[in-house]
Amino acid sequence: MCLQNFPCQEVERHNKPEVELKYVRCMTSPELLLNPVLICLNEAEKCLIETSINSLRISLKVKQADELENILTKKFLRFLSMRAEAFQVLRRKPVQGYDISFLITNYHCEEMQKQKLIDFIVQFMEDIEKEITELKISVNTRGKLVATEFLKQFM
Amino acid sequence: HDQIVSGIDWSSTSNKIVTVSHDRNSYVWSLEGGEWVPTLVILRLNRAALCVQWSPKENKFAVGSGAKTVCICYYEQENNWWVSKLIRKRHESSVTSVAWHPNNILLATTSTDGKCRVFSTFIKGVDTKDSKAGSSAESKFGEQILQLDLSYSWAFGVKWSPSGNTLAYVGHSSMIYFVDDVGPSPLAQSVAFRDLPLRDVLFISEKMVIGVGYDSNPMVFAADDTGIWSFTRYIGEKKAASSGSSYSSQFSEAFGKFYGQSKAATANDASESSKSRGGVHDNCINSIVPLSKAGSPKVMRFSTSGLDGKIAIWDLENMQEELGHQF
Repeated sequence: MCLQNFPCQEVERHNKPEVELKYVRCMTSPELLLNPVLICLNEAEKCLIETSINSLRISLKVKQADELENILTKKFLRFLSMRAEAFQVLRRKPVQGYDISFLITNYHCEEMQKQKLIDFIVQFMEDIEKEITELKISVNTRGKLVATEFLKQFM
Repeated sequence: HDQIVSGIDWSSTSNKIVTVSHDRNSYVWSLEGGEWVPTLVILRLNRAALCVQWSPKENKFAVGSGAKTVCICYYEQENNWWVSKLIRKRHESSVTSVAWHPNNILLATTSTDGKCRVFSTFIKGVDTKDSKAGSSAESKFGEQILQLDLSYSWAFGVKWSPSGNTLAYVGHSSMIYFVDDVGPSPLAQSVAFRDLPLRDVLFISEKMVIGVGYDSNPMVFAADDTGIWSFTRYIGEKKAASSGSSYSSQFSEAFGKFYGQSKAATANDASESSKSRGGVHDNCINSIVPLSKAGSPKVMRFSTSGLDGKIAIWDLENMQEELGHQF
């Protein structure tokens, strides 16, 4: 996470996270981007890390075993992404093909400690897994209770 | 300046400070009656200025910019202002760092295209054709003397050794490059080191270089008698990883608030990755400058400044034995 302040080479007096301009930039300043790294646990769980001289984008795809987990993940991560300002390093929309994305810029590295940022993201990933499982269990339990109560009247 | 000041240099004999900024402007500050008075320098840049350095004779200064050009500015006595001449060719990307050779004519530049180049900045009327300078005096302004293609990644922090014989610069791939006998047939060495890349270097003697960067700890590189450079040691001691105390980050708490749970206790055992840096700087060290008496060939003290907002002054007096006989 070695990021530094870098003024925009294409537009004067602007300072933008270079990784966000990847698709525009490929033609003009490819030298400012580094090779993206894709870490796959299996088909369903992936982590894409894209870096540039002043910014870093981490995109995660969470394991979704069945339809229920699919819906839960989508709603839960959408809830978090909508409140991205509170997290500062979270991106409001995940990158195409992934469930959630982080955008870390050089300004974040100046204000916060690099090690803590890394710990936060790792912690976040672990917690997502836990939360989704918990939510799934609670939905299933509720479903069972409601169904039992409802069907009692037919007994 | 409207935007961040990206480069600053103080000339010791003429007592002028030059500053450059991301707003494409540069000012030369002179001390008049106890106050520093700025003079605008028209750089004719259309992108941000990234770095600046006074030449050894202090009659010129060089500015590297995001416009892929280098501006060499000199003072025109008749019009009483600073004029800039641009080196427009050659650079394929932003010029991140510039360094003057002791002969006041050669300039080394590093760029985000990974290359280090040496140019001649001979200006008629400002530089005198000196027989000592040798072949460099015959070159035209802006002529590229040498291009070094050693790095695969962005290059930063170029510096000449006190005699001008050796050139050192760093690459983002955690490498430091040393070039001896800069000229038609240079001798280049690449030294790879572990840990994070460097941002800037300083020659403290002909055979010893200190590098600073993302590791927050200055590194010492030395050349042995045969001229082979290698990493010697860190200046400060690196403490071993210890993650005892409760780890609490502002994010953990913000995250926890959304669930109404307290996260502080749970994070402890999971994160054995939190290392306590225990050094002087907490964050990346951006630059290193010498604090030496004028004319002395060796640098005994230097200062470093970092992204954590700290400036530290280091004294090498006590470390002489540890640094070895090269020092």
